[in-house]
Amino acid sequence: MSTSKISIPKFNLRDKFGDWWEGTTRNQRIIFRVLLIAFFYILPFLDNPVFGTTESDFSSVLFYPMGMYVLMAIGLNIVVGKSGILDLGYVAFFAIGAYTHAILGLSFGFNFWINVVLGMAFAMFAGVLLGLPALRLRGDYLAIITLGFGEIVRIVAINVNFTGGAAGLAGIPAPPSIFGVEFLVDDPRPYYWLVLTLTLLVIWAYMRLIKRRPGRAWEAIREDEDVAEFMGIATTKYKLWAFVLGGAIGGGAGAVYASQVTSIVPELFDLNVSIMILACVVFGGMGNLWGVAFGAALLGYFPEKLRFLSDTRILFFGLLMVVMMNIRPDGIIPRKKREKVYDKNTGKEVSR
Amino acid sequence: MSDRLLEVRNLTMQFGGVTALSEVNLHVSKGEIAALIGPNGAGKTTVFNVTTGYYTPSSGEVLLNNESIIGLKPHKIARKGLARTFQNVRLFGDMTTLENVMTGADSRNKVGLIGSMFGTAQSRRDEESSHLKAAELLNFMGISHRGGQLARNLPYGDQRRLEIARALALEPKVLLLDEPAAGFNPQEKVELGELIKKLRDAGFAVLLIEHDMSLVMKISDRVSVLDFGQKIAEGTPSEVQNNQRVIDAYLGVADHAS
Repeated sequence: MSTSKISIPKFNLRDKFGDWWEGTTRNQRIIFRVLLIAFFYILPFLDNPVFGTTESDFSSVLFYPMGMYVLMAIGLNIVVGKSGILDLGYVAFFAIGAYTHAILGLSFGFNFWINVVLGMAFAMFAGVLLGLPALRLRGDYLAIITLGFGEIVRIVAINVNFTGGAAGLAGIPAPPSIFGVEFLVDDPRPYYWLVLTLTLLVIWAYMRLIKRRPGRAWEAIREDEDVAEFMGIATTKYKLWAFVLGGAIGGGAGAVYASQVTSIVPELFDLNVSIMILACVVFGGMGNLWGVAFGAALLGYFPEKLRFLSDTRILFFGLLMVVMMNIRPDGIIPRKKREKVYDKNTGKEVSR
Repeated sequence: MSDRLLEVRNLTMQFGGVTALSEVNLHVSKGEIAALIGPNGAGKTTVFNVTTGYYTPSSGEVLLNNESIIGLKPHKIARKGLARTFQNVRLFGDMTTLENVMTGADSRNKVGLIGSMFGTAQSRRDEESSHLKAAELLNFMGISHRGGQLARNLPYGDQRRLEIARALALEPKVLLLDEPAAGFNPQEKVELGELIKKLRDAGFAVLLIEHDMSLVMKISDRVSVLDFGQKIAEGTPSEVQNNQRVIDAYLGVADHAS
């Protein structure tokens, strides 16, 4: 377990919640989920001096950075947290998604909804192209290669014509209205709801994957890749899947982002984005979805909340991170799994 | 067709200028316990690493069920029926005991990633069978009470038992055990010996690396001795025990010159 120099009273959010959750009935769980989801959907209306951000528009903060960070951190968590593949070039997928929507939307008039899917598809394709050779490497070497990939995508975007070069692309079309919700430039709320919906879909798919065979394969690879291979797990295939799924989420996030900001330049997609999203994953608790989502939301929220400190806010933000990583080096809600109870004859998980 | 489930022919393994194995011949048949012994550094574990596909041999052949497996990836070889344990226990520490065994059982299943995501009928069947098989194996190894604990928190003896359970979940034909009795007390060694005999009688071919000579001599049908990468003797336990080259390898040769 974690060893920290600062001694703090035993505070285990994960186990407390876990105990409570296991004691609930099926109906209580459904109600809890519905209330939680409803809370997130009405969040833009809950702007107040205590809770919201005073210096910047709260709905806008909810969309970017908070919503975007959460969605991307969940995607990167599949790669870094679940499978143990250190990816420092995650921004590449974000950029590919953003440019897909920008170029196809501007030049060919493609609908946003098609472009999100295409952006994810292109990001996945790029993931396969990079992953096939790169995933033979491990550890530091893999990190360097992915870092290079992130930079290459940005530099290509500066140097070719169809991306608009260093000047970027402007006037990127907004999504057409859906269910009577109009996507307007001066109202970030629909975009926030869009990101929230995407995030919920991703969480739904993720939870199904990790409870089943792919989740076990990814964890086994993270724990000991050689042994996973000896146990009949096609490690290359599962690593590639993790990489590509993470990439698809980054691509989807990029398309949504481009449609909201309406103009993108290559400099938006620099190394800082990769580092920030990786920080979200580590800060929240590598490999724990709820930790990562919570951590990403906090890391998006604090710099905006601290805006009243003007120029020194980043200093305080850095201080906060240093303190945090000292107190909880494994993240806010660490990965370490709770013990389970299985039926001795069928091996099915039973609640205690 | 022979009943040799695993056969190693003229196996040579070189690392740069170092010859770890030189022209080694070995075989294990169905329902047989073959032991591989030798001093430290003789190349025993290298034999396991080559046969399981972790290393590609410099020359020679490895046949599993009369089919060459040279050049196949380790997971393919594992699925063809070769499972192993490790000298220093290597479990998936942050996974529960049952999940550890399930990773082996999963490799026998068909469901892929997309099927798992949408929860197809195939996926439900496969999940159920993995859970069931893992539970059976934990019962078989006598560690079902540990099922929900994290593998890293198990006592040492149970970690070793879990490794065997995980290997068995692959439904192998050949089982490679790398020093399974290391760190066991005499009582546990007796139990382990009984277990290995039970596996043999169930039709597995067992290839065993072990330093505990009394265990090796008691349960093995055939013993091969490696020294400096070469096989210096092979035979029944009593033949090997009385072989002068084996005695020299273990005890050293007396210096008559002085």
